[in-house]
Amino acid sequence: MNSEKIVKYIQTNCKADDWSLNISEDDSHETRFAQNSITQHISGATKEISLSVSFDGRKGSCSVNQDNEESLAYLLKTAEDIAKLAPVDPEFVPSEGKKDIPEVDNCDPETKALQPKQLVDIVQTSINEAKKFGATVSGLTEKHIRSDGLFTKNGFAGEFEYSDFGHSMTLRKEEVETKVSYEAKKFADFNLKDLCDKLQHQATTLAVKQNFEPQKIAVILRPVALQELLWFMGWMMDRRQSDEGFTPFTDKIGKPFFGDKFSWYSTMQQPQLLSLPYSSDGIISEEIPWIEKGILKNLPVSRYWAKKINSKPSSAYNMYIPGEGYTEEEMMKMVPRGLIVNTFWYIRSVDTKAGEFTGTTRDGVWYFEDGKIKYAVNNLRFNEIPHDATRRIISTGKSELASPSSLLPAMLIDNFNFVDRTTF
Amino acid sequence: MNYLDLAMNAAETLGAEYADIRIQKTIDQVIYLQNLSLKHTSNDVQQGYGIRVFKNGAWGFAHSNVFSDEAVLATVKKAYETAILSAEVNKDKKLSLAPERSYLATYKTPIKIDPFNVPLTEKIDLLLEVNRVMLAYEGIKQARSLLIMHKDEKLFANTLGTRLDLSTHFINPMITAVAVTEDDSQSRTFDEGGRAIGWEWILELDLINIAKQIAEEALIKVKADTLGEEQRRALILDPNHLGLTMHESVGHATELDRVLGWEADYAGVSFATPEKLNNYQYGSELINFVGDNTLEGGLATLGFDDDGVPGQKWYIIKDGILKEYGSTRDTALEIGLNSSRGCNRATYYFNQPINRIPNLYLLPGTKPLTPGELIADTEDGVYIQGRGSYSIDHHRINFQFGGDFFWEIKNGKLLRPLKKVIYKSYNPEFWNSCDAICDERFWRPFGVVNCGKGQPSQTARMTHGSAPARFRNIRVGGSQ
Repeated sequence: MNSEKIVKYIQTNCKADDWSLNISEDDSHETRFAQNSITQHISGATKEISLSVSFDGRKGSCSVNQDNEESLAYLLKTAEDIAKLAPVDPEFVPSEGKKDIPEVDNCDPETKALQPKQLVDIVQTSINEAKKFGATVSGLTEKHIRSDGLFTKNGFAGEFEYSDFGHSMTLRKEEVETKVSYEAKKFADFNLKDLCDKLQHQATTLAVKQNFEPQKIAVILRPVALQELLWFMGWMMDRRQSDEGFTPFTDKIGKPFFGDKFSWYSTMQQPQLLSLPYSSDGIISEEIPWIEKGILKNLPVSRYWAKKINSKPSSAYNMYIPGEGYTEEEMMKMVPRGLIVNTFWYIRSVDTKAGEFTGTTRDGVWYFEDGKIKYAVNNLRFNEIPHDATRRIISTGKSELASPSSLLPAMLIDNFNFVDRTTF
Repeated sequence: MNYLDLAMNAAETLGAEYADIRIQKTIDQVIYLQNLSLKHTSNDVQQGYGIRVFKNGAWGFAHSNVFSDEAVLATVKKAYETAILSAEVNKDKKLSLAPERSYLATYKTPIKIDPFNVPLTEKIDLLLEVNRVMLAYEGIKQARSLLIMHKDEKLFANTLGTRLDLSTHFINPMITAVAVTEDDSQSRTFDEGGRAIGWEWILELDLINIAKQIAEEALIKVKADTLGEEQRRALILDPNHLGLTMHESVGHATELDRVLGWEADYAGVSFATPEKLNNYQYGSELINFVGDNTLEGGLATLGFDDDGVPGQKWYIIKDGILKEYGSTRDTALEIGLNSSRGCNRATYYFNQPINRIPNLYLLPGTKPLTPGELIADTEDGVYIQGRGSYSIDHHRINFQFGGDFFWEIKNGKLLRPLKKVIYKSYNPEFWNSCDAICDERFWRPFGVVNCGKGQPSQTARMTHGSAPARFRNIRVGGSQ
């Protein structure tokens, strides 16, 4: 049953005061390889139909993954039964009404046309290159064509489709481990040879390693590492959580809380970036500065909290951080010594109110001095407060795609707080 | 012909060396309240089947949510064709499957009261009362309560002739109070993890009294001192803290797929490599870790894994020495084992199963020892309850953990409550520093319901357990 028929079924049969229907699909092919063999290989499509209903502010919801009439009847009855039994929600907000939905090009025909054999050929080439290099490679090659629809009793009706292609490679050769990855809506921008060359270059420069003790030191965080850390901070940037005193951003809107070299926008104007036109509850994506030249301009606001504080709801649907355009070579010359970090791993909150996080480096750490890389070093653990770290930004690179939703530059940050080291 | 036989016959006709089908229906009921607002009440159903085909040393897996003969046959064909594509790449390095026999069996989680039969209003009213109790305390600014009820119904068949009918449940309550002062915000959470048990567990728990305790401890915590500079101290860790420490530093480190490098690109590898088997001093002589997928109430007690291998019990670490791993049919032969330990599990029907941590627990001490005696025997240390921040490197060596509630121990007494405590250690320092474990009277399980791993990511469940234990000379201090 297509979306139109599902919506029609709910419109015809739902007796609730209000309803909101989400329909999502993912047609995917995922080839996972490890140590030069394919270890998993998955093909199929999934579907999820979620219905939320309300009677006088009493809410209930249900989801199913099948679209036959029997499943839809179960979906509707279950959601309605739950709602009838639930207490009135003091924070109830009606579903979103009719909206003008921005048109965004998120689905790439070339990605959509990718066949399983092409994905396997990418894996085969990656393994062949690793073998020639005397190494093993592990990774994931994946293609997804996803669609989302949101329909409400109050007139919201939106559907969009988006594509995703990803290829990651972790190379291991003796003690060296390093990784490169590409993930974007567009397959057309993927260049396997460049990625393999970059991987082997990284591995070569990591071959000579020295012990390095934890300390506060200047770091160049590459975009993939930086986006991981910043998204963790971003998930804490909620207006209500801040207004109620749970986060470091309490009473900081309008103030220079970050470093003045740091801005963060959500935007639909960067064609590389995935920018979904609306959130799962119908908040329309708009151009929005969260942080501009260090000043906290906005925090994402839920629909309920927006109503309560007489504001506009908003969501951080992607990350665009403009950069100054410096190269890594130029940044290395700006400080006497420092480290280059390829990626981070296992970042977790240490102190929510302080905004402090921990994590380790991964897939390559290089020590540089006098503007040149000297050698690789062991992995290190950091305990750091990202918003505080932005005040120590010395310079930034050129914005590049680190994930489908993140376009940002590498950053040179002073006195990054490494507190422990690993044994490898 | 039923779908199981239809699929297996079709796979054999196509030429599969091995194939299996897992028809799975998963139902999750989730109730979440924030303060007095019912934020989420849902019933979510995932229903479909996944088919694996093994051919020429490679896997193909396809899934579908359409139940018809045509769809099943098309899915078998897709899985077979996918395996053929994989095999082209695996020509030089084929996978192989450990031998296994066939079974005809059923398994059901033993539950007294089916949580899905308990009226929804009873569940919501209970959680509303829990939140009301916490919000009645001045200084508690947010109360959260969560109840997850889960059931899985699986029919499994493979070309070895196995036919399984498995029905499993778990339930997971969690409640949190958040206290706010002018300059800080601290939460305290009741979290014993999930258990494979019925609603009777909720009735035994007395969540209302727990809510009072949680709220009071959140208020104590927000006003508590911090520990200051990092120093070497003793740690006494409660089972509801130690569960996650063992999960990260022993459980994941002894998954055979990580050991083989199969998770190198994402979840990471392991330092506990095969040459260390039977000679590596992973922990002190008190340390005995058992893998046990037969544990009563264990979240990985499922009768059989998704390879069709029955639940087993075995030593992973014995008297401190690394003995074995958690393995699957496609990893076991890689290190010369002659059978799988039955650790291959998928989350939903559309997931290809992967090597997961079994129920894994630390055996209690053999000499009588109470937590009170353990504290009385400790001059300078910190007692940690509950789980907090946790992070470990991708070889499972270096780690930093926080907790949820802390007491400073001085001269055998709990001196003062603390907040923002973290400790840093690494394998094998940490487990070798264990010098005391309380006895079996104090052993408690801790069920992990959200263990993320794999590409595409899956969320698995398993139960850990221990009695309170002491670790000497660990780096313990405050966060920044």
